[in-house]
Amino acid sequence: MLFAQLLVNGVLLGGLYGLMALGMALVWGVLNIVNLAHGAFIMLGAYCVYFLFTIAGVDPFAALPLAMLVMFGVGYLLQRFVLNLIIRSAPLNTLLITFGLNVTLTYLAQLAFSADFRIINPSYAGANVTLLGVTIPLVRLGAFITALILATALWVVLERTRLGRAIRATAQNLTAARLYGVDPAHLYAVTFGLGAALAGAAGGLYGVVSQVTPYIGATLTAKSFVISIMGGLDNPLNIVAGGLVIGIAEALAAIYLGPTFVDAISFGLLVLILVARPARSWRLK
Amino acid sequence: MMRRWALLALGVTLLAALPLVGDELIIQYGIDLLLLATLAQSWNILGGFAGYPSFGNSAFYGLGTYGTAIAMAQFHLPFSVGLALGVVLAVACAILIGVPILRLRGQYFAIATLGLAATLAALISNVDIAGRNIGLILPLTHNETMFYEDALALLVACTLTVWWISRSRFGMGLIAIREDEDAAQVMGVNTTFYKVLALALSAFFTAIAGGIHAYWITFIDPASAFDPTLNVRMVIMAVFGGPGTVFGPLVGSFLLTAVYEVLAASLSTAAALLFGLVIVLAVIFMPRGLWNLALGLRRVGWRYFMQNIQQHKL
Amino acid sequence: MSDAPVTPILEARGLTRRFHGLQAVSAVSFAIGHNEILGLIGPNGAGKTTLINLISGTLFADGGELFFAGNPIDRLPPARRAHLGIGRTFQVMKPFPHLSVIENVTVGALFGFGGGEHSMRIARERARDVLDFTGLLHRKDQYADQLGGPDRKRLELAKALALRPKLLLLDEVMAGLTLSEVDEVITIIKKIRQSGVAILVIEHVMRAIRSLSDRIIVLHHGEKIAEGLSDAVLTDPRVVEAYLGKRRA
Repeated sequence: MLFAQLLVNGVLLGGLYGLMALGMALVWGVLNIVNLAHGAFIMLGAYCVYFLFTIAGVDPFAALPLAMLVMFGVGYLLQRFVLNLIIRSAPLNTLLITFGLNVTLTYLAQLAFSADFRIINPSYAGANVTLLGVTIPLVRLGAFITALILATALWVVLERTRLGRAIRATAQNLTAARLYGVDPAHLYAVTFGLGAALAGAAGGLYGVVSQVTPYIGATLTAKSFVISIMGGLDNPLNIVAGGLVIGIAEALAAIYLGPTFVDAISFGLLVLILVARPARSWRLK
Repeated sequence: MMRRWALLALGVTLLAALPLVGDELIIQYGIDLLLLATLAQSWNILGGFAGYPSFGNSAFYGLGTYGTAIAMAQFHLPFSVGLALGVVLAVACAILIGVPILRLRGQYFAIATLGLAATLAALISNVDIAGRNIGLILPLTHNETMFYEDALALLVACTLTVWWISRSRFGMGLIAIREDEDAAQVMGVNTTFYKVLALALSAFFTAIAGGIHAYWITFIDPASAFDPTLNVRMVIMAVFGGPGTVFGPLVGSFLLTAVYEVLAASLSTAAALLFGLVIVLAVIFMPRGLWNLALGLRRVGWRYFMQNIQQHKL
Repeated sequence: MSDAPVTPILEARGLTRRFHGLQAVSAVSFAIGHNEILGLIGPNGAGKTTLINLISGTLFADGGELFFAGNPIDRLPPARRAHLGIGRTFQVMKPFPHLSVIENVTVGALFGFGGGEHSMRIARERARDVLDFTGLLHRKDQYADQLGGPDRKRLELAKALALRPKLLLLDEVMAGLTLSEVDEVITIIKKIRQSGVAILVIEHVMRAIRSLSDRIIVLHHGEKIAEGLSDAVLTDPRVVEAYLGKRRA
């Protein structure tokens, strides 16, 4: 009985993790940028939803589209006017600049919103559904379903729309894409904006199931990395699967190994996977 | 050439003489700075010369910390034995972890190192002899001057090692790995062995820095020993100053720490914020570090900045 | 030419390599004699560079065997093969961009045959000699990424020579050169052979292949379709068809 509950907890959280990782994997796969500020985007999305909820009374789930729009704008501007300037530099430099952005955004948030814990607490926050002896909190179920919807939406955009085709073409061959009329500066910015929007949505959902502070970004960036590597950068559905694996592994580890091991688990898995994959498949990126 | 050496020797002597004239606060500030500079300089060995940026060196720092602490607090052994134990732990870890993850190329190696410190911290907090989550208390010694001179000696030793590397066959191999690893391999460089050796050297100096810090601070616990912010600070200082050079990391550490102190004294949170902005601007305008900036300004003047952007933008 | 059976410097038996379902090299067998120049030709995509990658160790074969001076080397990493005496150039040139020309070549001298030189001074001297030999001495202090195309090709060659190879693998070192530059490189290659080195030359410049090669092998879609003396191979109808396509009646 306990095991089934753990599994369900892990799956619900894992779906949300998968959504978090999607934005990072998209940016990484298309722009070859490992965005260390990804967690900061998640955090900012959470604050967007928090303020829409507490000040304007908008239901958190309904606030998501607006938060996504705001984060898209932030991401677009950052890529267009900052990251595009250094994108052909050594990969370490993109790591460093996104680190710098992360520091800047985190402390901006601390200045603007203070370090206090915030919780997004809609009226249905405590409601549960019980199925076969397993308790499923409604908000977590809602977050899980929303995550799946957004992941599917991303897949649809990438596979079935002109924009998605342009993005995939740019990811594979920038020069060829340019010859077909793609404006790389704009397209890169759109892609980064999409990544930020997805992060923002994940943040809003995270704020409902957990808490919001300026510092939630760090561990979430780390988890998104691990999931991106696990799932690979080609297919959004694999990322969601990776998220589920991490979610379940964490749930099990928390009970059987102790809470201190929860972070260590994801990194242990990460190193194992990186090392186990044949060295040559990494040459391609 | 001789003039350069004489100037350097003078500089080191002056630094060594600081405790005679400075007050306690300055000496403490100096110890911190010297240890940090050592971290940046030892990171430079693998990160700057071979181009493999590690974000996990605080793992070695933590192992050095704990090795020293366990030896001194639990077994009442002298400081030098403690340092040796710390070094053994760190170098062993570097080799064990290094062999599998150094087969990964640059970016992926960096990511694999990200969780190293956190994982070790988690593991150590379950070990009784290491004091679990509570930590350990080392014997109290109020001898700031000794710690200062130790830290200075460590930095000098580390810098001399880096200087030797920059002129040696080993160093050429590391640089070749950075410039083009495939070409380096077919030219006969045993890349995995060299990378692991560089990581082990890095771990060596980083561990000693951790050990000195432990004895100085007297109290350690997993969170402070494996301090994750150290990772990024040492990387930024090395990269800001000039990776792959002998003096770059030193310049970077001294300057950035000074900048941070000045800002923090006046602005606190805004200091961290401005620090982040400084990093962003530095990556845009001087991606090859301060050292390269100095050389570049001398060669082409202000056009250096625009040239960098032209070379690296989309 | 002696008829006594001597172990060839390189022998390949049934080498095979796939990439995701594409058979890049398919059961290729051949041998190179100790002081021989073997030409390797074939249309684009025939698998020539892949074959060189298999010999130098940059890629491992999926099947088949490879022998160097009689010893199996299939599982040896590229650095060990360099120590044994295999040197190569890259078709898409790979200089060390932030190092000077002489530093580039010094790396080869430091790590080449037998593990290379351990003395920086001796390695640098050897690098100077190699640069002199390949006509790059006047550029020794320039940064590698500042060189123009033809000089970059020479640098590739110089880096490989600094290893003191017994077998040199040249991958299109003459692409994009003018007629007189091609002649210069042909002369250099002949001099290299005179010093006792075996050479495998991939080229599209037929004049060079004809002038240099003792024998030629031809790859097409990963398979060896012809082998023999220059004139015989170059007029073989299968080879002509591979390059030009089937004649329409």
